[in-house]
Amino acid sequence: MPDTQALVNDFLNKLKKRKIEGSQATAKQTAELLRSVISQTRMPYTNQASALIHSVKAVGERLIAANPVELAVGNVVRRVLHIIREEDLSLTTAAMAGLNLSAESDDEDDTDRDNHPALSAAAIAAASRSTLRPPSLQTLLEDVPDSAAVPHTSSSGGDSEGKSKSADKSSRSRKLKHDVIEAVNELIQDISTCRELIAEQAVEHIHQNEVILTLGSSRTVLEFLCAAKEKKRSFRVFVAEGAPRYQGHLLAKELVTRGLQTTLITDSAVFAMISRVNMVIVGAHAVMANGGVIAPVGLNMVALAAQKHAVPFVVLAGSHKLCPLYPHHPEVLLNELRSPSELLDFGEFSDCLDFGSGIGAPLLHVVNPTFDYVPPKLRRA
Amino acid sequence: MNRVGLQYLAGDLSGGNARCIAMLQAFQEAIRDYSTPPEKTLTRDLTSKIGGFVSFLIECRPLSMSMGNAIRFLKSRIARLPLTLSESEAKTTLCSDIDRFINEKIVLADKVILRHAAAKIRDGDVLLTYGSSCVVEMILLYAHELGKQFRVVVVDSHPMLEGQKLLRRLVVKGLSCIYTQLNAISYVMHEVTRVFLGASSIFSNGTVYSMVGTASVAMVAHAFRVPVLVCCEAYKFHERVQLDSICFNELGDPDAISKVPGRVDVNFLDNLTDKQKENLELLNLKYDATPSDYISVIVTDYGMIPPTSVPVIVREYRKEYLLI
Repeated sequence: MPDTQALVNDFLNKLKKRKIEGSQATAKQTAELLRSVISQTRMPYTNQASALIHSVKAVGERLIAANPVELAVGNVVRRVLHIIREEDLSLTTAAMAGLNLSAESDDEDDTDRDNHPALSAAAIAAASRSTLRPPSLQTLLEDVPDSAAVPHTSSSGGDSEGKSKSADKSSRSRKLKHDVIEAVNELIQDISTCRELIAEQAVEHIHQNEVILTLGSSRTVLEFLCAAKEKKRSFRVFVAEGAPRYQGHLLAKELVTRGLQTTLITDSAVFAMISRVNMVIVGAHAVMANGGVIAPVGLNMVALAAQKHAVPFVVLAGSHKLCPLYPHHPEVLLNELRSPSELLDFGEFSDCLDFGSGIGAPLLHVVNPTFDYVPPKLRRA
Repeated sequence: MNRVGLQYLAGDLSGGNARCIAMLQAFQEAIRDYSTPPEKTLTRDLTSKIGGFVSFLIECRPLSMSMGNAIRFLKSRIARLPLTLSESEAKTTLCSDIDRFINEKIVLADKVILRHAAAKIRDGDVLLTYGSSCVVEMILLYAHELGKQFRVVVVDSHPMLEGQKLLRRLVVKGLSCIYTQLNAISYVMHEVTRVFLGASSIFSNGTVYSMVGTASVAMVAHAFRVPVLVCCEAYKFHERVQLDSICFNELGDPDAISKVPGRVDVNFLDNLTDKQKENLELLNLKYDATPSDYISVIVTDYGMIPPTSVPVIVREYRKEYLLI
């Protein structure tokens, strides 16, 4: 465990200092970290699933707290928890179907790992009735006298509570860990290849002689457009530069290197040019449960303009960006302000930045948000 | 004349009013220095001379709408000069006409606009402005002098970054300001109570022609239900109709887009190979057209009018100054 602790602390530091760029990289590293946490967890004989879940949750909460704006972390943690529960459930169904032996009912979140070993026959019979049922109010209330903690599902998605039965406990525990790690590997694989899968659909959406607008730079969009180019579609791209990070310049450079006709425009010209555009394609930072999108700053303006001119607004997002939370006041709560030096040179404006006018409040504030919220009605696909 | 042209070219002189005044004053000087060659009438020769100057100015930088209107005024004054006047009298008449035009149409008009617009500012307001418009700046400073308590949000855009100059002038006078770039406008618009915009010109269908990005500001303000006030002197109105920003526009220097002053880390577009360059186009538009449905009211020297009344002003009052 000290091994993983060091890893966890290291990752936490990186998250706090915002050293990891991009939600895909973050998601991948989170998944890998959780994989090592899982492999290091000591598994008791009974209730393995909840041991795993407990340790993953502990680490996950710390990770989410380190960088609440990076929603991919939370998404990956929830998916790993879901994997654990699913694997547990499938193992139990296999065991149950195969052996149909003494049943032991486990409740998801309860902490009584001490009093399990031998249940009386009556308890076993009662438990077998309640096995394999998805959590309902009745099952929860039945177990309330037994367990100290009130079982509750966290705000994340975890649905199937694994009721585990064991015929052969030791081999089952090994199997559970093994299965979970395999599934997490698959998850990592998915995260890495999400861009290719999205890009494969490019040809259906981009037709001949189309004009596409995008803002800033997203690797998903880049691969999407290149895939369409590979399939011999000819189209033009307008890239808005995306001040103050000017990522649009990077994207434009990449696109021209691959031979696409690109025009670089300023963000202010987006409204002017959008009437001549067939489609707007952008990448997202995260997609919320109501369909709203957290996107790089400036995209709300583009989405409004697209709606006014009836231009389809398409968002590309990998599955690690799908978040089961509902946004409340997302512009403020799910946003980060970056350094004002990107907007104003401190040296030039040092005279204005002094505290003035006697009331002690600074006269000049500089606002540099990172993200924008695009409500679901502005988004076509 | 050369000096003014070069100033345009260098971009030192910007802003509709400033350019127009500088041009008219240059014309005044030219008229004073002018002498009719023998065998030619004053009116025709002077008109062609003016035409020559105008072409020179167009070479330096395409005319703004306000300048176009001013030139038409001048040409019509020249054409109406009675033939009985001697040359020196004609010249003094023209110069005084130009002075009156500048005074009435620009200086006094601005004072009237100030009074109207400052009445719309209340204590506790958060006012948003885009770029640097001299009329809006005057309004903000005037309202501040009147003692109203408000905050200003200055929105700026690359590559001109005119907002920084406005910001400096406002902070020096003691106004409390927030500075941000155009992309962040959805973030700040929650707090804003009024939006004040300047215009280069207003067309007969109510479309406002102004610095590129104004349309986006007006659109987002409209989406957040914030009233948009456009402040524009009446001499800038034009009877043309324009539907979108592409039909008629001015292109700025394309290299201005790729350079970001003061930030070396983002100069991605240096060192492009030729193959890359042939696929890449840099488009730097200077103006854009804001549809009239985003505008709540236009503040002019004739009062506060809705965008639909612009053709009325053009029709009724255009005759007036041609007859003064």
